[in-house]
Amino acid sequence: MEIEKAPRQHYSDFEKGEIFNNEFLPHIHAMYNFGYRLTLERDDAKDLVQDTYFKAFRFIESFQRGTNAKAWLFRILKNSFINDYRKKIKEPNKVDYQEVESYYNSEDVDRQITSDLRVDALKDMIGDEISNALNALDVDFRTVIILCDLEGFKYEEMAKILDIPIGTVRSRLHRARQLLKEKLSEYAKSMGYKNTEL
Amino acid sequence: MSQASNPFNSGSGKKTTCIEMLQVILDGQATTDQCEYFRLHMDQCMPCFKNYQLDIAIKEMLKTKCCGGEAPTELVSKIKSQIAQNIR
Repeated sequence: MEIEKAPRQHYSDFEKGEIFNNEFLPHIHAMYNFGYRLTLERDDAKDLVQDTYFKAFRFIESFQRGTNAKAWLFRILKNSFINDYRKKIKEPNKVDYQEVESYYNSEDVDRQITSDLRVDALKDMIGDEISNALNALDVDFRTVIILCDLEGFKYEEMAKILDIPIGTVRSRLHRARQLLKEKLSEYAKSMGYKNTEL
Repeated sequence: MSQASNPFNSGSGKKTTCIEMLQVILDGQATTDQCEYFRLHMDQCMPCFKNYQLDIAIKEMLKTKCCGGEAPTELVSKIKSQIAQNIR
Protein backbone atom coordinates (compact mmCIF):
# COMPACT_ATOMS: atom_id res chain seq x y z
CA MET A 1 0.00 0.00 0.00
CA GLU A 2 2.84 2.40 0.76
CA ILE A 3 3.91 3.98 -2.50
CA GLU A 4 7.53 4.68 -1.58
CA LYS A 5 8.21 1.77 0.79
CA ALA A 6 6.75 -1.17 -1.18
CA PRO A 7 9.33 -3.52 -2.74
CA ARG A 8 10.04 -2.28 -6.25
CA GLN A 9 8.77 -4.44 -9.11
CA HIS A 10 10.18 -4.45 -12.63
CA TYR A 11 7.66 -4.23 -15.43
CA SER A 12 8.10 -3.86 -19.19
CA ASP A 13 6.14 -1.10 -20.93
CA PHE A 14 3.70 -3.74 -22.16
CA GLU A 15 3.15 -5.00 -18.61
CA LYS A 16 2.71 -1.45 -17.33
CA GLY A 17 0.01 -0.88 -19.93
CA GLU A 18 -1.67 -4.14 -19.00
CA ILE A 19 -1.68 -3.31 -15.29
CA PHE A 20 -2.93 0.18 -15.91
CA ASN A 21 -5.74 -0.89 -18.22
CA ASN A 22 -6.79 -4.08 -16.46
CA GLU A 23 -6.19 -3.34 -12.77
CA PHE A 24 -6.32 0.45 -12.39
CA LEU A 25 -8.80 1.79 -14.95
CA PRO A 26 -11.75 -0.46 -13.94
CA HIS A 27 -11.92 1.52 -10.66
CA ILE A 28 -12.19 4.94 -12.30
CA HIS A 29 -15.91 5.41 -11.61
CA ALA A 30 -15.53 4.52 -7.92
CA MET A 31 -12.49 6.82 -7.79
CA TYR A 32 -14.44 9.67 -9.33
CA ASN A 33 -17.28 9.18 -6.88
CA PHE A 34 -14.79 9.15 -3.99
CA GLY A 35 -13.12 12.31 -5.31
CA TYR A 36 -16.47 14.01 -5.68
CA ARG A 37 -17.64 13.02 -2.20
CA LEU A 38 -14.40 14.38 -0.73
CA THR A 39 -14.24 17.68 -2.61
CA LEU A 40 -17.98 18.15 -3.31
CA GLU A 41 -17.00 19.76 -6.62
CA ARG A 42 -17.09 17.95 -9.98
CA ASP A 43 -14.12 19.86 -11.42
CA ASP A 44 -11.99 19.26 -8.34
CA ALA A 45 -12.94 15.58 -8.44
CA LYS A 46 -11.75 15.39 -12.05
CA ASP A 47 -8.41 17.01 -11.15
CA LEU A 48 -7.99 14.71 -8.18
CA VAL A 49 -8.73 11.57 -10.18
CA GLN A 50 -6.46 12.61 -13.03
CA ASP A 51 -3.64 13.42 -10.61
CA THR A 52 -4.16 10.08 -8.83
CA TYR A 53 -3.96 8.05 -12.06
CA PHE A 54 -0.83 9.87 -13.20
CA LYS A 55 0.79 9.26 -9.81
CA ALA A 56 -0.28 5.62 -9.89
CA PHE A 57 1.41 5.22 -13.26
CA ARG A 58 4.55 7.05 -12.12
CA PHE A 59 4.83 4.72 -9.11
CA ILE A 60 3.53 1.62 -10.90
CA GLU A 61 6.64 -0.37 -9.98
CA SER A 62 5.67 0.04 -6.33
CA PHE A 63 2.45 -1.81 -7.07
CA GLN A 64 2.53 -5.57 -6.80
CA ARG A 65 0.35 -7.32 -9.36
CA GLY A 66 -2.55 -9.27 -7.92
CA THR A 67 -2.73 -7.15 -4.76
CA ASN A 68 -5.60 -4.82 -3.97
CA ALA A 69 -5.36 -2.17 -6.71
CA LYS A 70 -8.54 -0.42 -5.62
CA ALA A 71 -7.29 0.11 -2.05
CA TRP A 72 -3.91 1.26 -3.41
CA LEU A 73 -5.57 3.82 -5.72
CA PHE A 74 -7.93 5.03 -2.98
CA ARG A 75 -4.95 5.59 -0.72
CA ILE A 76 -3.17 7.67 -3.35
CA LEU A 77 -6.31 9.72 -3.96
CA LYS A 78 -6.85 10.29 -0.24
CA ASN A 79 -3.22 11.42 0.18
CA SER A 80 -3.49 13.74 -2.83
CA PHE A 81 -6.65 15.20 -1.34
CA ILE A 82 -4.97 15.85 2.01
CA ASN A 83 -1.63 17.07 0.66
CA ASP A 84 -2.79 19.11 -2.30
CA TYR A 85 -6.47 19.92 -2.25
CA ARG A 86 -7.09 20.31 1.48
CA LYS A 87 -3.99 22.50 1.88
CA LYS A 88 -5.21 24.67 -0.98
CA ILE A 89 -8.52 25.41 0.69
CA LYS A 90 -6.90 25.47 4.16
CA GLU A 91 -9.75 23.52 5.69
CA PRO A 92 -9.02 22.99 9.37
CA ASN A 93 -9.48 19.52 10.79
CA LYS A 94 -12.59 19.93 12.86
CA VAL A 95 -12.78 16.46 14.36
CA ASP A 96 -11.77 16.09 17.99
CA TYR A 97 -10.70 12.45 17.94
CA GLN A 98 -9.98 12.40 21.65
CA GLU A 99 -13.62 13.23 22.18
CA VAL A 100 -14.65 10.52 19.72
CA GLU A 101 -12.56 7.87 21.48
CA SER A 102 -13.87 8.94 24.89
CA TYR A 103 -17.40 8.82 23.59
CA TYR A 104 -17.00 5.34 22.19
CA ASN A 105 -15.42 3.97 25.33
CA SER A 106 -17.87 5.60 27.72
CA GLU A 107 -20.56 3.81 29.68
CA ASP A 108 -23.18 5.98 27.93
CA VAL A 109 -22.64 4.43 24.57
CA ASP A 110 -25.36 1.75 24.87
CA ARG A 111 -27.89 4.22 26.16
CA GLN A 112 -27.49 6.25 22.99
CA ILE A 113 -28.15 3.29 20.71
CA THR A 114 -31.75 4.27 20.04
CA SER A 115 -32.36 6.88 17.41
CA ASP A 116 -35.38 9.11 16.99
CA LEU A 117 -35.37 8.40 13.26
CA ARG A 118 -37.82 5.88 11.84
CA VAL A 119 -37.53 3.63 8.78
CA ASP A 120 -40.78 4.92 7.26
CA ALA A 121 -39.53 8.52 7.51
CA LEU A 122 -36.30 7.46 5.88
CA LYS A 123 -38.08 5.70 3.02
CA ASP A 124 -40.04 8.85 2.23
CA MET A 125 -36.84 10.71 1.49
CA ILE A 126 -36.37 11.04 -2.22
CA GLY A 127 -32.62 10.97 -2.51
CA ASP A 128 -31.18 14.44 -2.06
CA GLU A 129 -31.62 14.24 1.70
CA ILE A 130 -29.34 11.25 2.17
CA SER A 131 -26.75 12.72 -0.19
CA ASN A 132 -26.94 16.11 1.54
CA ALA A 133 -26.71 14.48 4.96
CA LEU A 134 -23.59 12.59 3.89
CA ASN A 135 -22.04 15.69 2.33
CA ALA A 136 -22.75 17.71 5.47
CA LEU A 137 -20.56 15.45 7.61
CA ASP A 138 -17.01 16.51 8.38
CA VAL A 139 -14.75 15.06 5.69
CA ASP A 140 -13.09 12.53 8.03
CA PHE A 141 -16.45 11.08 9.05
CA ARG A 142 -17.71 11.25 5.46
CA THR A 143 -14.67 9.33 4.27
CA VAL A 144 -15.19 6.29 6.52
CA ILE A 145 -18.85 6.03 5.51
CA ILE A 146 -17.86 6.14 1.83
CA LEU A 147 -15.13 3.55 2.24
CA CYS A 148 -17.26 1.15 4.29
CA ASP A 149 -20.84 1.58 3.10
CA LEU A 150 -20.37 2.65 -0.51
CA GLU A 151 -17.18 0.80 -1.40
CA GLY A 152 -17.28 -2.18 0.98
CA PHE A 153 -13.72 -1.92 2.29
CA LYS A 154 -12.82 -3.93 5.40
CA TYR A 155 -11.35 -2.43 8.60
CA GLU A 156 -7.82 -3.46 7.68
CA GLU A 157 -8.06 -1.93 4.21
CA MET A 158 -9.54 1.29 5.59
CA ALA A 159 -6.79 1.49 8.21
CA LYS A 160 -4.18 1.28 5.44
CA ILE A 161 -5.94 3.74 3.16
CA LEU A 162 -6.36 6.27 5.97
CA ASP A 163 -3.13 5.59 7.88
CA ILE A 164 -4.94 5.14 11.17
CA PRO A 165 -5.27 2.20 13.60
CA ILE A 166 -8.16 -0.25 13.16
CA GLY A 167 -9.60 0.86 16.53
CA THR A 168 -9.81 4.41 15.23
CA VAL A 169 -11.53 3.21 12.04
CA ARG A 170 -14.16 1.49 14.21
CA SER A 171 -14.75 4.43 16.52
CA ARG A 172 -14.83 6.91 13.64
CA LEU A 173 -17.34 4.77 11.76
CA HIS A 174 -19.51 4.49 14.85
CA ARG A 175 -19.54 8.25 15.38
CA ALA A 176 -20.07 8.90 11.67
CA ARG A 177 -23.18 6.69 11.66
CA GLN A 178 -24.56 8.54 14.69
CA LEU A 179 -23.95 11.92 13.07
CA LEU A 180 -25.53 10.79 9.81
CA LYS A 181 -28.63 9.66 11.69
CA GLU A 182 -28.81 13.02 13.47
CA LYS A 183 -28.75 14.81 10.12
CA LEU A 184 -31.42 12.50 8.70
CA SER A 185 -33.54 13.04 11.82
CA GLU A 186 -33.43 16.78 11.19
CA TYR A 187 -34.66 16.19 7.63
CA ALA A 188 -37.40 13.84 8.90
CA LYS A 189 -38.61 16.49 11.34
CA SER A 190 -38.59 19.13 8.61
CA MET A 191 -40.73 16.76 6.51
CA GLY A 192 -43.37 16.72 9.23
CA TYR A 193 -42.51 13.53 11.09
CA LYS A 194 -43.22 15.02 14.53
CA ASN A 195 -43.45 11.77 16.48
CA THR A 196 -40.13 10.24 15.59
CA GLU A 197 -39.60 8.21 18.76
CA LEU A 198 -38.93 4.54 18.10
CA MET B 1 -27.66 -17.51 23.78
CA SER B 2 -25.39 -17.83 26.80
CA GLN B 3 -22.47 -15.48 27.24
CA ALA B 4 -20.01 -18.32 26.64
CA SER B 5 -21.53 -19.16 23.26
CA ASN B 6 -21.51 -15.58 22.02
CA PRO B 7 -19.16 -15.61 18.99
CA PHE B 8 -18.67 -11.85 19.36
CA ASN B 9 -16.82 -12.31 22.67
CA SER B 10 -13.09 -11.90 22.33
CA GLY B 11 -12.17 -14.24 25.19
CA SER B 12 -11.01 -11.38 27.39
CA GLY B 13 -14.03 -11.92 29.64
CA LYS B 14 -15.53 -8.56 28.69
CA LYS B 15 -19.20 -8.78 27.76
CA THR B 16 -19.94 -7.71 24.19
CA THR B 17 -22.64 -5.05 24.16
CA CYS B 18 -25.54 -4.79 21.72
CA ILE B 19 -24.02 -1.74 20.07
CA GLU B 20 -20.70 -3.52 19.55
CA MET B 21 -22.44 -6.49 17.93
CA LEU B 22 -24.52 -4.22 15.72
CA GLN B 23 -21.47 -2.31 14.59
CA VAL B 24 -19.59 -5.46 13.57
CA ILE B 25 -22.64 -6.48 11.52
CA LEU B 26 -23.10 -3.05 9.92
CA ASP B 27 -19.42 -2.68 9.15
CA GLY B 28 -19.49 -5.94 7.19
CA GLN B 29 -16.97 -7.59 9.50
CA ALA B 30 -19.13 -10.34 10.99
CA THR B 31 -18.42 -14.03 10.50
CA THR B 32 -21.22 -16.43 9.52
CA ASP B 33 -21.52 -17.53 13.17
CA GLN B 34 -21.77 -13.93 14.35
CA CYS B 35 -24.45 -13.12 11.76
CA GLU B 36 -26.48 -16.13 12.86
CA TYR B 37 -26.06 -15.27 16.55
CA PHE B 38 -27.17 -11.70 15.94
CA ARG B 39 -30.18 -12.85 13.90
CA LEU B 40 -31.36 -14.95 16.85
CA HIS B 41 -30.46 -12.19 19.31
CA MET B 42 -32.75 -9.75 17.47
CA ASP B 43 -35.72 -12.07 18.19
CA GLN B 44 -35.23 -11.24 21.88
CA CYS B 45 -33.95 -7.68 21.71
CA MET B 46 -36.33 -5.09 20.25
CA PRO B 47 -33.85 -2.15 20.33
CA CYS B 48 -31.36 -4.20 18.32
CA PHE B 49 -34.07 -5.23 15.86
CA LYS B 50 -35.24 -1.64 15.35
CA ASN B 51 -31.75 -0.21 15.10
CA TYR B 52 -30.70 -2.92 12.68
CA GLN B 53 -33.70 -2.22 10.43
CA LEU B 54 -32.94 1.50 10.46
CA ASP B 55 -29.19 1.17 9.91
CA ILE B 56 -29.61 -1.31 7.08
CA ALA B 57 -32.17 1.00 5.42
CA ILE B 58 -29.66 3.87 5.64
CA LYS B 59 -26.90 1.68 4.18
CA GLU B 60 -29.14 0.66 1.28
CA MET B 61 -30.12 4.27 0.62
CA LEU B 62 -26.49 5.34 0.65
CA LYS B 63 -25.65 2.68 -1.91
CA THR B 64 -28.51 3.53 -4.22
CA LYS B 65 -28.43 7.33 -3.88
CA CYS B 66 -24.77 8.20 -3.39
CA CYS B 67 -22.93 5.79 -5.68
CA GLY B 68 -24.24 7.09 -8.95
CA GLY B 69 -22.36 8.97 -11.56
CA GLU B 70 -19.75 7.68 -13.92
CA ALA B 71 -16.48 9.46 -14.44
CA PRO B 72 -16.84 11.91 -17.36
CA THR B 73 -15.80 10.33 -20.66
CA GLU B 74 -13.41 13.19 -21.46
CA LEU B 75 -11.58 12.54 -18.19
CA VAL B 76 -11.23 8.84 -18.98
CA SER B 77 -10.02 9.63 -22.52
CA LYS B 78 -7.51 12.20 -21.27
CA ILE B 79 -6.01 9.79 -18.74
CA LYS B 80 -5.86 6.96 -21.29
CA SER B 81 -4.17 9.09 -23.96
CA GLN B 82 -1.60 10.54 -21.51
CA ILE B 83 -0.65 7.09 -20.29
CA ALA B 84 -0.54 5.68 -23.84
CA GLN B 85 2.01 8.37 -24.73
CA ASN B 86 4.16 7.33 -21.80
CA ILE B 87 4.32 3.65 -22.68
CA ARG B 88 5.09 3.98 -26.37
